[in-house]
Amino acid sequence: MEDIRNAILEFAEKSKKSKFYFSDMEKAVKKVIPDVKARMVKKAATSLINEEKLIYFSTGSTTMYGLKGKGQTEDH
Amino acid sequence: MAFEPNEPQEKIKYDEMRIYSDEELNNYTEEELKNFKTKHDTPMCDDLESGPWPSFVADAKREALHRRKLADDRILLSAETVEDTLGQLEDSFVDGETHWKHGGIVGVFGYGGGVIGRYSDLQEKYPAVAHFHTLRVNQPMSKFYNTDFLRTICDLWEYRGSGMMNMHGSTGDIILLGTTTEQLEPIFYQMTHEMQQDLGGSGSNLRSPSCCLGRARCEWSCIDTQDMCYELTHYYQDELHRPAFPYKFKFKFDGCPNGCVASIARSDMSFIGTWKDDIRIDQDAVQAYIAGDIAPNGGAHAGKDWGKFDIQKEVINLCPTACMWMEDGKLMIDNKECTRCMHCINTMPQALRPGADTGVSILFGAKAPILEGAQMAVLTVPFMKCEPPYENIKDLVEKVWDWWMEEGKNRERLGELIQRWGLPKFLEVIGLPPMPQMVTEPRSNPYIFWKAEEVPGGFKRNIEDYRVKHMR
Ligand code: HEM
Ligand code: HEM
Ligand code: SF4
Ligand code: SF4
Repeated sequence: MEDIRNAILEFAEKSKKSKFYFSDMEKAVKKVIPDVKARMVKKAATSLINEEKLIYFSTGSTTMYGLKGKGQTEDH
Repeated sequence: MAFEPNEPQEKIKYDEMRIYSDEELNNYTEEELKNFKTKHDTPMCDDLESGPWPSFVADAKREALHRRKLADDRILLSAETVEDTLGQLEDSFVDGETHWKHGGIVGVFGYGGGVIGRYSDLQEKYPAVAHFHTLRVNQPMSKFYNTDFLRTICDLWEYRGSGMMNMHGSTGDIILLGTTTEQLEPIFYQMTHEMQQDLGGSGSNLRSPSCCLGRARCEWSCIDTQDMCYELTHYYQDELHRPAFPYKFKFKFDGCPNGCVASIARSDMSFIGTWKDDIRIDQDAVQAYIAGDIAPNGGAHAGKDWGKFDIQKEVINLCPTACMWMEDGKLMIDNKECTRCMHCINTMPQALRPGADTGVSILFGAKAPILEGAQMAVLTVPFMKCEPPYENIKDLVEKVWDWWMEEGKNRERLGELIQRWGLPKFLEVIGLPPMPQMVTEPRSNPYIFWKAEEVPGGFKRNIEDYRVKHMR
């Protein structure tokens, strides 16, 4: 679990965009940990959300993830 | 079977939960309403009140007056939320575009759905709606609630929101329109802790599942839609609240092919109750309809004299598969040809009933995107048994989700993925053999490419030899 969390955070920090889709995050984790299951990536991402390291960004129809503190973070 | 909640439920009593007194709730007269001028001139909105139907503009004006007359400390948002909403709507009509900015990070702790960030792009002109987030409230099954519940929700929303709500959004949720970020957690707390009421889905989530009245009110229901919807809503809480899908995903449950929640058109996975055996016929009641002793269609369409009921003209000739006839004064049905259109049953409900061996048909892939146009669901599972705790249904759901999460592009609905890969691939994923019922009409989707192991004896063919003569 910890290695998945680290891979997510590394991807989120390096990513050029401040918001990204779940599947892009999953692909990035797969590069580091090839046999990882989507469900595990989701669990790890949820734990990072609960620790307020990641945030959800939603338009209402789709949801993206982002690193807390990167890009737009508060109300505009 | 009596309803058993997954966790103990308390009865909500409005008198214990209420925020407003009766005087506050009824704080204006019809005379005052007639003379009431809202803050902004809104001629185009006003025009909507002139049609034959009740208008949301008329409702909004009542609410605007009501809020004006509440004391300042009795509402936490501005008293002018409704008036600014109307003002901004008027500007949108004039400009031909929306003035709502979409999206944001707003939400309640740990949830990736249920709250939708909305901001005005005319904040100086309409300060009361500068921050105007929407909440989705997961409606109870079949939208069965009592007035204690509704009044409690209304009070809460008057106090901590704009006072405007929408019953219901097309997903089914109660939509609370417009509040500020700081009100989100208190509203969420009160709903979950004091009303046992959850938020619904939004974003790349499972959306609030919804169902028809089902066995609670309707004798045609072939499945317990309420129980199924309740069970799957609870079972898939993680999918409802923590988004990880490529896009939205909807379940809807119709108890019979009449489709009162239109699951076939509005859900990625549509469940429609059906039967496997024969339509049950009461021949005496058939005779009573023919003799005019029972009104057809349960007495509906009675506003006009349609003449004497004619079973040949009104039922037999309208059967889409021509599988009914009269023989020695008895109504006959060739059940293997019946497509469960429900017409005969709807017309003569006392004489005809769905069969007794019931289950669901499952269809996939409906969507109604703004840009590309609507698409109906495709019948994929003609019949499946459907009993609590619905293990077979859950297995199927998870196969579908695993594939879609693996192969779906960002913002690609399941129906689009099935089109991109073809129905045969989808059948392979869910482990079903192709069947004639899956073909909408001849030549629309007939291409099934057999593999050697699927054909008895297999076949030997060297694709390289073939390609020598037939280049790609
Ligand atoms: C008694 C003789 C024949 C009968 C009863 C017959 C019957 C049929 C039928 C029922 C179809 C399917 C129609 C459809 O639903 O699309 C068909 C398609 C076809 N037949 Fe024949 N056929 C006969 C002779 C021939 C001959 C002699 C040829 C070629 C020289 C031929 C070439 C084709 C082709 C190419 C198609 C496919 C057309 C398409 O869908 O693009 N048929 N035929
Ligand atoms: C200059 C001559 C020809 C041209 C430009 C031509 C063009 C075409 C085209 C564009 C198609 C549709 C392909 C598709 O969309 O699947 C077609 C189909 C067909 N052509 Fe031709 N063709 C020619 C000559 C012939 C000849 C001489 C024959 C038979 C001896 C023939 C038999 C067929 C048949 C049977 C089909 C239907 C194939 C199918 O149903 O999949 N064509 N042709
Ligand atoms: S869909 Fe069928 S079972 Fe459900 S309420 Fe409508 S008619 Fe009744
Ligand atoms: S349900 Fe429809 S298809 Fe079936 S017998 Fe009645 S009218 Fe015909």
